[in-house]
Amino acid sequence: MGWIGEAVDSVKSLRIRQVLSQAVSLGMIVTSALIIWKGLMCVTGSESPVVVVLSGSMEPGFKRGDILFLHMSKDPIRAGEIVVFNVDVHERQDTEDVDVLTKGTAVVCPILELVYLSDIFLQHISRRDTFYPSEVRIGMKPNLKEMKPKKTTGDNNMGDDRPLYAHSQLWLQRHHIMGRAVGFLPYVGWVTIIMTEKPIIKYLLIGALGLLVITSKE
Amino acid sequence: MDWQGQKLAEQLMQILLVGFAVVAFATGYALGSFQTMLLVFASGVVITTLITVPNWPLFNQHPLNWLDPSEAEKHPKPHVANSSSKKKTNKK
Amino acid sequence: MHSFGFRANALLTFSVTILALICAMASLSDNLNSPSPSAHVQVSNINRFQKSKGNDEVSMTLNVSANLQSLFTWNTKQVYCLTNSYAFVFLAAEYESPKNSLNQVSLWDAIIPSKEQAQFLIQTKNKYRFTDQGSNLRGKEYNLTLHWHVMPKTGKMFADKIVMTGFRLPEEYR
Repeated sequence: MGWIGEAVDSVKSLRIRQVLSQAVSLGMIVTSALIIWKGLMCVTGSESPVVVVLSGSMEPGFKRGDILFLHMSKDPIRAGEIVVFNVDVHERQDTEDVDVLTKGTAVVCPILELVYLSDIFLQHISRRDTFYPSEVRIGMKPNLKEMKPKKTTGDNNMGDDRPLYAHSQLWLQRHHIMGRAVGFLPYVGWVTIIMTEKPIIKYLLIGALGLLVITSKE
Repeated sequence: MDWQGQKLAEQLMQILLVGFAVVAFATGYALGSFQTMLLVFASGVVITTLITVPNWPLFNQHPLNWLDPSEAEKHPKPHVANSSSKKKTNKK
Repeated sequence: MHSFGFRANALLTFSVTILALICAMASLSDNLNSPSPSAHVQVSNINRFQKSKGNDEVSMTLNVSANLQSLFTWNTKQVYCLTNSYAFVFLAAEYESPKNSLNQVSLWDAIIPSKEQAQFLIQTKNKYRFTDQGSNLRGKEYNLTLHWHVMPKTGKMFADKIVMTGFRLPEEYR
């Protein structure tokens, strides 16, 4: 009987060891991905060094599903550079209310880098997007009272022979900008887009991978 | 697919793909066309798939000669005093 | 390499790796290209120069001639170019208006999709508004800069510019 117990024990320990080693290798994959991501963050100085283009507003340059590599250096942003920025909906609502904006920007140091966007660009902005800054002015905070009428009188301004670009302004500040685009890779980002838009596919994929891990013994 | 066939298939795959990549890059660069490069490489991948993935008879030229079971009974292994075989018999 | 699926998997992995490699090489080969673009911008006319709602606004006609053909390599999808005005506006502190040490305003931009279209001569009004924050544009000197971005099919993006100096806005509104 001792023989059998020994054999069972050895088999059991083998199982546990296998499971453990699988868990460790899975952990290795996850952590190495994390290390690469954080390493890229350190090297590029951008909070999110690789982004997927989500909207078609930059076509035909960048299409939906392309991948951009970002770099964020200390150099000031200049007009014409391709930058990726984050605007959350909350802040965009704030910009319509000048008082709230005043509170929000009060902490920022006097020299700001400001970029302003036109109305047409704004329509394309989902939560995150790329664009070419069309204007850069460096100096003190704009006079907010002066900005207010510009924001609300879009239609009136169209009347007097001005180009189409008017007037709902959004002021971007340094902290909105995630980095300027330095590299480009087409189509690869579709994987993420599909996964976020159709979560079923994501679960199916995860399920299939899990099944593979369970069934394959090698 | 036998052992030697597997080795052959793997080597063929690597050599063919690298070769096609070199050819693709050279033609693409020479013609100044990125699309040509991609097309050449894609066709290379298809060709390599056709050559190395199916189980062609080429990969089965060195079959393992298994002993007939009756042969094995006639010639019992001389030193099978391993623990594994013992355990198996014990279990039974 | 013992099963069909295993071989297909190995082939897929290896071919994708190689594809990434040749794309990287294609992107690197762009560095061998040393472009010699030329550009010239003229302000042929100031159509309108007035103060509207406290801000100076200029409408001008630009003659843009450029030859950017050397920027195109086999890995180039398009070139985006843009003319900027750098109006260096230094305001004294006593003004209420915002003081800017640098203003960059885009005047015109275009996407050049192919090498054939990279040599051009066009006459255009400024596409985007040229306004100041305040009214400090009279008699102001400014530079016109032609920026461009080379957008590759894959890989690294290149950007450069040509600066043309010595432009001056009129002293009076018109």
